[in-house]
Formats: sequence, C-alpha cells, structure tokens
Amino acid sequence: MPEENMQCFKTLEYLKNSYGERIHQISDERKSGKKLVGTFCLFVPDEIIFAAGADRVILCGGKNDTVSIAEQYLPRNICPLVKSSFGSIVNDGCSGIKSCSHFSMVDMIVAENTCDSKKKMYELLGDYVPTYVIDLPQRPDTPEALKYFLSELEKFRDAMEQLTGNKVTTEGLRQEIRSSNETRQLLHRLYELRKRDPSPISGADVLKILQKQYFLSPDKLKEYLQMLINEVGSVEPGQVHKPRIMISGCPMPGGNTKVTEMIESKGGVIVTEESCTGTRSFWDLVDENKEPMTALAERYIKIPCSCMSPNDRRIDNILELAREFRIDGVIYYTLQFCHGYNIEKQKVQKALKEAGIPMLSIETDYSDSDVEQIGLRIDAFMEMIS
Amino acid sequence: MISVGIDAGSATTKAVLVKDDSSIIQSIRSTEFDFVSAAEKAYEDVLEIAGIDRKEVDHVYSTGYGRNSIKFADGSISEITAHAKGVHHLYPDVEGIIDIGGQDSKVISVNKGKVTDFLMNDKCAAGTGKFVEYTARALEVPIEELAKMALASKSPAGISSMCTVFAESEVISLRAKGYSKEDIAAGIIESIARRVAVMARQIGLKRNVAFVGGVAKNAAIKAALEKELGISLYVLPEPQITGALGAALHGSN
Ligand code: SF4
Ligand code: SF4
Repeated sequence: MPEENMQCFKTLEYLKNSYGERIHQISDERKSGKKLVGTFCLFVPDEIIFAAGADRVILCGGKNDTVSIAEQYLPRNICPLVKSSFGSIVNDGCSGIKSCSHFSMVDMIVAENTCDSKKKMYELLGDYVPTYVIDLPQRPDTPEALKYFLSELEKFRDAMEQLTGNKVTTEGLRQEIRSSNETRQLLHRLYELRKRDPSPISGADVLKILQKQYFLSPDKLKEYLQMLINEVGSVEPGQVHKPRIMISGCPMPGGNTKVTEMIESKGGVIVTEESCTGTRSFWDLVDENKEPMTALAERYIKIPCSCMSPNDRRIDNILELAREFRIDGVIYYTLQFCHGYNIEKQKVQKALKEAGIPMLSIETDYSDSDVEQIGLRIDAFMEMIS
Repeated sequence: MISVGIDAGSATTKAVLVKDDSSIIQSIRSTEFDFVSAAEKAYEDVLEIAGIDRKEVDHVYSTGYGRNSIKFADGSISEITAHAKGVHHLYPDVEGIIDIGGQDSKVISVNKGKVTDFLMNDKCAAGTGKFVEYTARALEVPIEELAKMALASKSPAGISSMCTVFAESEVISLRAKGYSKEDIAAGIIESIARRVAVMARQIGLKRNVAFVGGVAKNAAIKAALEKELGISLYVLPEPQITGALGAALHGSN
C-alpha cells in the first residue's frame, strides 16, 4: 500500500532477512549450550532471562493456519492468539501445515498467569515442552501484591539459574535493565517522530518491527531501531493530513496485520498503539537506581493489561496517548473471545466519549471471512472523522 | 447540477438521480448475480426517465455492498454515510436511523446530516431480514402475511435463540407444543426488535428516529421496535432509496 507520502525504509527491507538470521543465531547458541526460553507475555521480564545467560523468543501466534491444528485439542470459542500459538507448538507437521521454526527450538516455556485461556493452555503445553509459570497477583495496586509479585520473580530467577547453571548477579541484572531501558528509549524516540502531522511512518511499518521486538536479540533490535529512527527522522515533512488513528486493545503478534493494513488502505494513518505490540511494551522504564529485583517488580506489575482489576491505569494511559498523539479517532481492536479486552471496551468507550474522541470497535479473528464487513465499518468511520 | 447515486446492494440495486438538489428520480432493480450490470441498468433507467444524456451528468457516486466494483462511478461512500445524508435530506430533523436490511442491520446517530456514531450487526443473521425470512419459513407462512398475523396476537410466544438456525428449530418446537401461528409470528417479530433495540440503546437513539431499509415496510416490526424503545419511529415513504439518494447528494456538494 505505498502511498504518496509514505516512504520505503531500507531498515524494513533488511528486517525481512532477520528471521533467517535469528534462527541461525539461536541454533548456534543452542549448539554451544545456551538455553532458549519461549515467552508469551509482557509480564515476563526479559532482564532476568538474559541475566541468567539464556536467550528468549516470543511464541505468540498471529498466523491463521495453525488455528485449525489447535482446534483438535481446544474449544473453538477461545481467542485466536491462544489457538494459533498452541497450534504452532503442538504441530507435528502431519497435516501439511508448517509452524515457524522457532516454535520447536525452545528448551523451556516461561508462562504467566494472566487470562484464563492462557492459564489453561499452559497446563496443556506442559505435556509438550517444560513449562514454568509465573503467578501474577491480579490487584496490582496493593503493597501485598507487589511483595507477592517480587517473590514470584525471585522464584523465577532461581528457576532460570537452575535451567542455565549460571548465577544471576545484581550487576548482571543492572546491566540488563540498562540495556532494556535503552531499547525502551529508542522506541520512545520512534514514537516521538510519529507525533508529527502527517506522521512520517505508517503504522503498518512500525508494526513490522514491533512484532519482532521479543523475537530478535536485544542488540539486533536496537540496531534496527536506531537505523529506522535515522531514516524516519529525515523524511521530508509531508503535506497531506490523514485522520490520525490510535489502535487500542489486544496484541497483534507476527502474522497478524489484517486490521492495521485495512485502516491504512482506507486513508487513515495509525500513529500509536495502546497494545502489547505497542506502547504497553515500552512506555514505562525500570528504575535503574533501585535494587534491581524490586525495580523490576515495580515496573512490570504496572503493565495495564485487562487481566488486572481494577485496571483504571489503562484508561488514563489511553486518554494521555490520545492527547499526546493528537488522535482523531480510536479503533478499539479485540480478538474474538478475549473477554478481558472485550468487556473493558465499555470503560474505554465511556472515557473517550467524555473526552470527545470518536471510537470504532472491531472484534475479529485471524481469518479473512469478515474483511468486507470490517472494511465497511472502517470506511464509515473515516468518513465520520474526516 | 445533475448527480446520480447508485446503491449496489446484495438483493436490490437502487439508482437515484438528483437535479439541482431538488427533483429526485429513482429506479429499483433486483441485483441478481451481477452487481455491475444491475448498476449499469439502474443507471440507464434513471437517465431514461429523466430524459438526460450520460454526458450531462456531473457526478456518479456509489454505495452499498458492491460499491467498489462500480467502475463508472467517480467515487464511493459507505452505506452509513449515504443513509445519513439521504435520510437527512428527506427528514431534516433526523437524529437517529435504524436500518434493517436483508443481510445486516445498522443503527446510526446523526447530527445535522453527519454521522456521529454507528453500530452494525453483520456477522450473523439475528436481527436482520434473513432472520424473519427463515423463521417465517419454519412457520410455513408467506413473509408478507407474517406482519398481519403478528399484529393479531395477544400474547407473543417467547423466542430466545439469537441464532437463526436454532430459532428455526425453536419455532418448530413451539408449533409442536400447540402455540398459535399468530403468537409464534409475534414472537419472531419481538425477537428481532429486541435485538435491534439493544443496538439502538447502545448509541443512545432517543428522538427523531427514522426507520429505513427493506424491512421498514413491515408494520409489525415497526410496532414492536416502537414498543421496545418507547418512541415512535418515522418511516420514510421510500425507505429503500435513502442510500442511493445520499450517494447522489454526496456528489452534488
Ligand atoms: S495482553 Fe496482557 S496477557 Fe496478553 S501479552 Fe499483553 S500483558 Fe500479556
Ligand atoms: S488476546 Fe485476550 S484472550 Fe487472547 S491471550 Fe491475550 S488476553 Fe488472553
């Protein structure tokens, strides 16, 4: 969908080769004895994994093909993200459907007790891959919750030490926190550029790199981000104002670009995403001056995911983003059967209405069956806010 | 200024020609298999009735399900925007629109002809004309008689299934239990009205609500919706052409 003022960025061309390169890198690492863990969620601190000398890849599925494999085991009415991920992991290849290669390379899954579908999926996954579950308190704003979460992270650190045979040192943690904060700051710089009107980069392009955020090694990711920021920063200011859209809701893991592409082919430009493939992943930094484990617990427990209750922090965050990025309209994006984000829609809708910001809600899955219907809604929404 | 709007719907294709924002000429055809040829024919109809040559037409805009395949149009707009513009033209006080079509249903909130909010149901047949069609079949009555029958009922049978397929079997089991045709017919109508009313309440339609779309001519559904929402609905004399009219008006300004 190359449009007049949308550029082709070289970084994104290079990024196309990054999958193969990364697979090489992890196979080499594994040959030399390094452990690879697979994660599904922002609540699992990368810093602890890296400080233990392991590597990690994200296992969230965004592809439709493996959904049918999962449906042999799981009920139909759970979210496609869970089905796609599960299908990719348990896939034995007999059905002729291929999973991406990294799914079969992990030594251990590091899971987290978030939504019901994922919790129960992890119980099943344990039969296929060793699975470690971090428990999460669900009332994030109490001191007891923080204490409990810290104890869970400590247990997790011990489990990682056991897996790798390496000691997680305070210094090691500090170093990883600094490194992850650098990534977060780079992402902030990229998003800062999107505040320009018109935005110098499309949401579809930003999504390409965000979907690889937890797949690439941190060094590689930083390299790509730095390159992209340089390129985007030097884009000539465009003239054409397009409706500035914020996506808010469920994550869009690799393979899932349906709604993003539709919004932008219909004349809007996505300038920010309140999502786990968006601001939720990098907005808050970890305090580098505190004792590292406490600092991690404090930062991670505040992720405004709908599995938390109450989750008013998310509403405040959405309003703040809408102001900062001068949003013309919000597209509330949810996956079918994701009860948390689907129910929270009521609160978001109310808050946005009060703030005078139009919102369109789209609930969908990974198939293309509803492309026409979604297209009509987006057309009408664009006409409404232009 | 002469402009034409074409509403390429899945069941019927509508063309409206508007001259200087006032005189309105229309044609309604069944779409059959080919969207493009139906649109072409409806276009020719209005040209012929108006006695106008193609070259004299300033703009053609399309809307409806097949809106993007009408290549002779200068552009297209969504049905939502088109209905809002069309209804506003015929009913300037309009603040809300309920549109129940064959395949989908929509509720639109309007302010001075501009859409301010909308909701659609198009993922399943519940709350659409299809629901009425299928359940009427299970009742073995022609769809035209369903409304009359329903209006004669004193105590509508409860139909709780949202899903059209299950509702169909629910109707059959009500028949087996000995409910009267009138009461079942009224139950069917209430069920669709309830479903659409939920959407109308969600976007807060309260006053000056127009009822459009193919189903708007069904007096029983109108009555059931009015009861559900506690307001009276305004049915336009030609509820089917508001989309095409809106598209034509879009071209003329
Ligand atoms: S939406 Fe919630 S559960 Fe899902 S990845 Fe994000 S933080 Fe984790
Ligand atoms: S999208 Fe929703 S239901 Fe699916 S895994 Fe994430 S939180 Fe759970």
